[in-house]
Amino acid sequence: MKHLFLLFSFFIYFLVSGQNSAIGSNEKLIFSASYNMSGLLTEIAQVTMETSEVKTTNNTLLKLKCSAATYSSFDNYFKIRDLYESYVSPSTLVPYLYKRDINEGNYYKFEQYKYSHKSKTVSSTMKKKKTEQNKTVKIGANTRDIVSTIYNIRNLDFSSLNPNDTKSFAFLFDNEELIINVKYLRKETINTNLGKKECYKLSVTLKNDDALKGTNENVIWLTADGNKLPVYAKFKIAVGTGELKLKSATGLKNK
Amino acid sequence: MRRLFIILGFIASILAVILSVTPLFKIAFIPAIAALVFGLIAFYLSRQKQYPKKSIQLIFLLTIISLTMTTYKTIFTVAEVGDVEGLELKERESEEKAIEELEDLNLDDINMDDTSNPMETDTMSL
Repeated sequence: MKHLFLLFSFFIYFLVSGQNSAIGSNEKLIFSASYNMSGLLTEIAQVTMETSEVKTTNNTLLKLKCSAATYSSFDNYFKIRDLYESYVSPSTLVPYLYKRDINEGNYYKFEQYKYSHKSKTVSSTMKKKKTEQNKTVKIGANTRDIVSTIYNIRNLDFSSLNPNDTKSFAFLFDNEELIINVKYLRKETINTNLGKKECYKLSVTLKNDDALKGTNENVIWLTADGNKLPVYAKFKIAVGTGELKLKSATGLKNK
Repeated sequence: MRRLFIILGFIASILAVILSVTPLFKIAFIPAIAALVFGLIAFYLSRQKQYPKKSIQLIFLLTIISLTMTTYKTIFTVAEVGDVEGLELKERESEEKAIEELEDLNLDDINMDDTSNPMETDTMSL
C-alpha cells in the first residue's frame, strides 16, 4: 500500500511538473542582443520569441518561434537573419517538428527534425548551400530541441528547488544530443525594462560542448512570477560578454 | 621614449578613427582615450627637450575626430531592425510546409507524452 501511494505521488508529480503553466499561446517577447566590452554596450541584433497556435486537421499545436535579425547598422557588415521554429504539444511542450533556418553573412544552413517519440528517433534533414543530408538519429526519452528546451526551462517548478539544485535537459542540435545543466542560484531583484523585478537567477552550462565558457558566468534571470519571463541573460564569450535584455513582452499567460 | 609614445599614440588614434566609422563605434572610446594619454605623455616629453610637436598635434587631431564621431553616433544612433520582409515571408512559407508535414505525422504521441513527460532528465543537488 505504501509503495502504491509512493508510485501515485510520483505520477501526480510528473503530471503536474510536465504541464505548461507559464507560456501563453499568443506571447511575444522582444529582446535586444548586445555586446559588452569594458562596460561599453553595443546593440547588435533583435531577438524575438513568439508563440502562436497552429491548427492541423485533427490537432492544435503550439508554435514556438525564435528569430534573430541584426540591426540595420550591422547589415552591411554581417547580416544575420535566423529563424528557429518548434511545433510542440500545447500542454507539455513536447516537440514534433523543429526547423532551423540560419542566414549569417554568407553562411546558410537549414535543419529539420521530425520527432517520433514512440520509436525514440528523429528523422533529420540538413541542407547547406550545396549539400543535403538525410539521417535518422536515435534520441533519449526526454530529448527535445533547443527552442522547446528554452521554453521548458520557464516551466520549472522553482518552489521545489533549493539554491544550487541543478536540472538537466537533453536536446538535439546539429544531429548531436547535448545536455544543458540549469543551476538555480538564488532569488535576486534586478532593474529591467519592465521595472524592478524579483527574479530567479539561473546558471547555464553545456555538459558535452564548450560553446558556453566559464562556470556561473552564463546566467539567466527569470521573473519570479507565473510567467517566468527571461528578462535578462548574460553570456561569456571570447572577448567581453554578450547580453540579452527583454525590451517588451505582450500576450502573457498570467496577468 | 618620446618616439615610442608617438608611435603608440598614432596606432591608438588611427584605430579609434577606424572603429568610430564601424557599427562597433562605442569601442572606439577605448583607443581614443589611450591615444589621448599617449599623446599627452609624448607632448610632456617633447616640451622638456624642446622637440617639435607637429606629430603629436596630428595624434590629438585624429583623436578629437574619432571622439566627436563616436559621441555624435552614441547620442543620435537609434538601433533599428533593417529589412525583415524576407524573413517574414520565409516564416509564412515555413509554417505552411510545417502544417503539411504535421498532417502526415502520427500525433497520437501527444496523448502518450501528456501523461509521462518529466521535462527535465535529471535533478541533482550540488
